[in-house]
Amino acid sequence: MERAEGNVGSPAAVLECRNVGRSFDSYDGGGKNEVLRGMDFEVHENEFLVLFGAGQCGKTTLLNILAGLDMPTEGQVLTRGKKVTGPAPERGMVYQKTSLFPWMTVEDNVGFGPKVQHMPENERQARIKKYLELVGLTGFEKNYPSQLSGGMRQRVGIARAYANQPDIMLMDEPFGHLDAQTRYMMEEELQRIWQKEKRTVIFVTNNIEEALFLADRIILLTNCPTHIKEEYIINMPHPRDYVDPEFLRLRQLITDNMDLTL
Amino acid sequence: MKSFLEKYKYKLISACSFLFVLLVWQLVTDVFHLVSPVMLPSPTKILGTFWYKLTGGTVPDGSTLLENIWSSLKIALGGYCVGVLIGVPLGVGMAWSRKFELFAKPLFDIIRPVPALAWIPLMILWLGIGYGSKVGIIFFAAFISATVNSYTGIRRTSQVHLWVGKTFGATNRQLLFKVAIPTALPMIFTGLRLALGSAWVALVAAEMLAATSGLGYMIQMARMLGRPDVIIVGMLTIGFVGLMLNTGLEKLQKKYVRRGKQHD
Amino acid sequence: MIDNTKDSRFSVKQLIVIYTIISLMSLLAVWELVARFTKASMFLPPASQVLVAFCRSFVEPIGKRTMLAHIGVSLYRVGVAFFFATIAGIALGVGMGYSRLAEAILKPIFEFIRPIPPLAWIPLSILWFGLGDTGKFFIIFLGCFCFITVNTYDGAKNVDPELIGAARMLGANERQVFFEIVLPSSVPYIFAGLQIAVTAGWSAVVGAEMIQSNEGVGWMIVRGMNTGNTVQIMVGIVAIGIVGFILANLTSALERRLCAWNEQKGM
Repeated sequence: MERAEGNVGSPAAVLECRNVGRSFDSYDGGGKNEVLRGMDFEVHENEFLVLFGAGQCGKTTLLNILAGLDMPTEGQVLTRGKKVTGPAPERGMVYQKTSLFPWMTVEDNVGFGPKVQHMPENERQARIKKYLELVGLTGFEKNYPSQLSGGMRQRVGIARAYANQPDIMLMDEPFGHLDAQTRYMMEEELQRIWQKEKRTVIFVTNNIEEALFLADRIILLTNCPTHIKEEYIINMPHPRDYVDPEFLRLRQLITDNMDLTL
Repeated sequence: MKSFLEKYKYKLISACSFLFVLLVWQLVTDVFHLVSPVMLPSPTKILGTFWYKLTGGTVPDGSTLLENIWSSLKIALGGYCVGVLIGVPLGVGMAWSRKFELFAKPLFDIIRPVPALAWIPLMILWLGIGYGSKVGIIFFAAFISATVNSYTGIRRTSQVHLWVGKTFGATNRQLLFKVAIPTALPMIFTGLRLALGSAWVALVAAEMLAATSGLGYMIQMARMLGRPDVIIVGMLTIGFVGLMLNTGLEKLQKKYVRRGKQHD
Repeated sequence: MIDNTKDSRFSVKQLIVIYTIISLMSLLAVWELVARFTKASMFLPPASQVLVAFCRSFVEPIGKRTMLAHIGVSLYRVGVAFFFATIAGIALGVGMGYSRLAEAILKPIFEFIRPIPPLAWIPLSILWFGLGDTGKFFIIFLGCFCFITVNTYDGAKNVDPELIGAARMLGANERQVFFEIVLPSSVPYIFAGLQIAVTAGWSAVVGAEMIQSNEGVGWMIVRGMNTGNTVQIMVGIVAIGIVGFILANLTSALERRLCAWNEQKGM
């Protein structure tokens, strides 16, 4: 398989997921409900990794484990060699439902991370300004999330995650709730933002176009229990074209490999 | 064993906490006599009084506990039924017909902020201290919750559902009975529950002011005669009966109102 | 809601005003006529007489005080009790909603007391606190406290767990999660509780004063009952209704002010 240009020389892994499994007690109390099995992968510096799979099963659970909000029942997650034991500001998260704090204005939302980490006020203001500018929301500082459109809210969510200058960004189907038009636009926006300020990103989606448009590498997941089926390195230059023959070929290749037994 | 403890950890803490309170209560009253029995009788004393009243004791108010409960329930349910029978149609009517709302809502709005208890003197003057005046007071208490909730419930009918109904040629009457009222049913039921709660509270107040039997009368008499154990038995009975009425309606709601869970 | 009034020459707002005037006027007219010209005059004073008495009661004392002073006394009682109930109710509600241990310890005791109507505490409170204001504060406190606690508890329980997760991901510690997330997101629930509590407190003060007091609005109407003065009762009911209306609307205005971010709307 081809190697992505950026990853030649195989830099150290930012995050390693080592044989992670997660099962829940089933409701009747009897058996176990296995959601994740043998998840084993790693992410490199400034790599855009997409976890792609259909259905609802397991992807959010996996992301919560990477975030440290949930603990695996098997295996472990390491960030730069250290074991993850809980949530930490080194890992930023962007949610599908945006999960902005509705009682805070846009600037308070973006400045929340710096604030709880007791960053000096002037530095904090500079952060807010910088990242609102990055996502193109200058002028909306005093608005409440309920006054913004879905796409704008998601930009605030991205700015909020960026404002902590995390080592790695976790994105849980961030555009899943947007309409198709806004979704395309936001994908381009995210690509632009990411080109401008590179971060290591793990992006979860169930949309193949989105995956191919954004990814350096795609990990194809199967359903129930979720485990890794295949890995694809995507080596196309940005910005990508949805109807480029190579794009379509990869799209065909990956979708053919999905098992759509829903 | 360990998993048993883990599973019921919080339930155990709850039980311990409750027993601890009872224990302290018993200790400060009957064991160490830190609190005068005139102010606060011990739990065992209260239990004894409860048993006595339950098994046919009539001192000090002249009726047994069950007689008092029955006498209170009779009045509460009487006033409640009248309140609901008037309140629900009124609420539905105001929400459904614009013209009726324009006329009736101002009248309702001037009654609404008056607490039901404030009608007691007027009712007593007009209807005496018998069954009628108390039913009147409870009527006001139940009527307001029933109306407000029915009104809100109908108002929440989705406009789209009404359009669908109209598209299929439903008459105004059919829209009301097949679309709006079913939509509002969970809310109406909530109103019925709230109404029963307020009715029960109003009843106690009414009985404390003017009655010759009933739970409110019982605790008022017990105070005059300095019997705090009877007061507490009465209070707990009032609370318990109120709770049972509420749970009963809740069960009915769960059983008969489908989709009830979607609403609050 | 189905029959529309589009064909009317008036806007909806104008219609509401016009109909309100019509309906209130017709109520007063029927009342006046019934009281003047039927046998109902035995127990129903005419509306005009009540209105005149209502206006006079601003200057002429009923008992020791004028009506406004009686209202003041009652409001003072509600105010003091409401203040303490708010503090205690929010503290208990948030505590039980946030900490499972606090919930396990306190909830059974709270649930045991909750179903007892506040007025049922009057006999006991007279035994404990005598006939003074303390007993009334206690009754009104109980009347407000339970509603505030229950609502705050619901609010703290219903915090979106994803918001807490998001805050923790952004580096907030337990204390910051509590003060920055749990507390503010319970605010709409707390306000709903305060609104019910104010109404309940007002109702409780009326009840408490009716049963045991020598001043305040509740006393005013009971006094009217004992002296067979229907006019005074009606004046009292009008005053109680007006104050109740103002209290309910004050809290909802305050809520709209403080919870501008919250999109959901109540009735």
